[in-house]
Amino acid sequence: MAILATEGLTKRFPRVTALDELTVMAGTGVTGLVGANGAGKSTLIKILLGLLPPTSGRARVLDLDAATHGLEIRRLVGYMPEHDCLPPDVSATEFVVHMAQMSGLPRTAARERAADTLRHVGLHEERYRPIGGYSTGMRQRVKLAQALVHDPRLVFLDEPTNGLDPQGRDEMLALIRRIGTEFGISVLVTSHLLGELERVCDHVIVIDAGRLLRSSAIGDFTQASQAIAVEVEDGLEPLVERLGGLGEAVAVQGRLLTVQVPADADPGRTYDAVRDAVCDLGLNLVRLEQRRGHIEDVFKEPVA
Amino acid sequence: MTSEPTAVIHDIGYRHYEGARLGRGSAALALAVNSLRGVFGLGRTARAKIMPFLLATIMLLPAVVSIAVMALLKQDGLPYPAYAVTMQAVLAIFLAAQSPYLVAPDLRFRVLPLYFSRPVTVVDYIGAKLAALAVAMFLLIAVPLTLLFAGELLVDRPGPPHTSQYLAAMGGAVVYAVLLAAIGIALASLTPRRGLGVASVIAFYLFTSAVSAVFFGVLLSIGRETAAKWAMLINPFFLVDAVQVALFGTDPSNGEGYPPGLWACLIVPVVIAVAVAGILLRYRKAASS
Repeated sequence: MAILATEGLTKRFPRVTALDELTVMAGTGVTGLVGANGAGKSTLIKILLGLLPPTSGRARVLDLDAATHGLEIRRLVGYMPEHDCLPPDVSATEFVVHMAQMSGLPRTAARERAADTLRHVGLHEERYRPIGGYSTGMRQRVKLAQALVHDPRLVFLDEPTNGLDPQGRDEMLALIRRIGTEFGISVLVTSHLLGELERVCDHVIVIDAGRLLRSSAIGDFTQASQAIAVEVEDGLEPLVERLGGLGEAVAVQGRLLTVQVPADADPGRTYDAVRDAVCDLGLNLVRLEQRRGHIEDVFKEPVA
Repeated sequence: MTSEPTAVIHDIGYRHYEGARLGRGSAALALAVNSLRGVFGLGRTARAKIMPFLLATIMLLPAVVSIAVMALLKQDGLPYPAYAVTMQAVLAIFLAAQSPYLVAPDLRFRVLPLYFSRPVTVVDYIGAKLAALAVAMFLLIAVPLTLLFAGELLVDRPGPPHTSQYLAAMGGAVVYAVLLAAIGIALASLTPRRGLGVASVIAFYLFTSAVSAVFFGVLLSIGRETAAKWAMLINPFFLVDAVQVALFGTDPSNGEGYPPGLWACLIVPVVIAVAVAGILLRYRKAASS
């Protein structure tokens, strides 16, 4: 089922064309909207929310026309803006309760939902303190909570990982994945990094300068840049030699070993080789994880 | 036989909300109530309560003194219709101190997009903020008047109570509340900085009252008495007092009287309309950015 669809959507501002004949579609689950800064991601979200009239073309969200049924759409949708949007002198609980009421929830229901939602996004005791003292990670969680508090059918998350450290990014991405699967709320998440969206999205739309670059299920994106990172306690050299001997593309980055997973071959082979090598050499394995791909590769790819 | 566990902790996971979803009106009402509480510092820090409660207490003082005068000296207290004009400085300070609180933080911390991404429109938002401030200003005038009236009834002075005067003053309080709220929000929403908002509202009051006094004095000294009375209307407090005089036939509280006719009753709605139009323009721009 199509959660949102646009048809020849164009938005021209006096000095710039933000969206140019954009025709995209997204179904349930997590959809990534990728583009460089200024590609038109935020403009698209504003049009989908019915806050900005398109110059031409049509946009539908949950089968409602964005240009004429903005109010109904905003009742069913949550929005997490890219920029800071939190007053510093109220607590997260008060703020999220207030925002739930603004979405039409009665006060008692708003309180319950706010407590539930803040727990789900991982804010605990600190939610009673004024937001002014929060870290960036906590602020992002409050912003996410206010977008989810009224239990929308769809959320727009504009650059939710902005300003987060690597661990914060991982936690936020895991949370987005949970929203799309466990919570059953469809997600449209924007980012300028395809690599991080790859891990949580079912479908990715890439736009550049307001035009569609590509739109496809995540599996269709090339895996050529996929790599695994290996960290062992001692004996990095023997491991490098061993894997090199097996014909794997190995690179050492400090204490980390990066092994390229070729796209054409059976990917399991490389993983097996690493596992066996570590096992046979009797090394203490500290870390074994997937490396994120690089967005540059996708932008370099010819448009299908 | 195995004993059943008596208590189990379940991770119930995410639950969907199946309850009521109210409409725009309820959201706007919730915003208005929340804003009204905030104006008086309720639900905010202790520091935020000092100013509004101090000013509200000062507003009550003339009523208390008047009741004492009626009870002990058997004389008339402060006349009801003159209450707001007498206390205009306090009302102006309250307006200046509290109207920026209502609008400036939402602009400064960019909370507005969160409101407008919900079923709340620009008109709902502005309406709620104006209503909150108007109710606050009304309470600030009406509570002392009502206290004074209750006092007058209890003291039971000889002669009939000034019921019609009290009602006229309450009607005037409504006009004061709406006019002052519109001016306060219009000026405060021009800047996202709260301090600047406070300064601009208080500057507006000082400017209008000074200009009105200077013109009045100059025009009177050259013998242009009618023109001098018109100059009085530049001060918003005297403008509403003139409405009271015209509509309810009360005595003018400026000691000089106002231009005859219903002019003040025309000017007030025009000023309110200009202020509200200004606010709408301001927020239409803010909403689409």
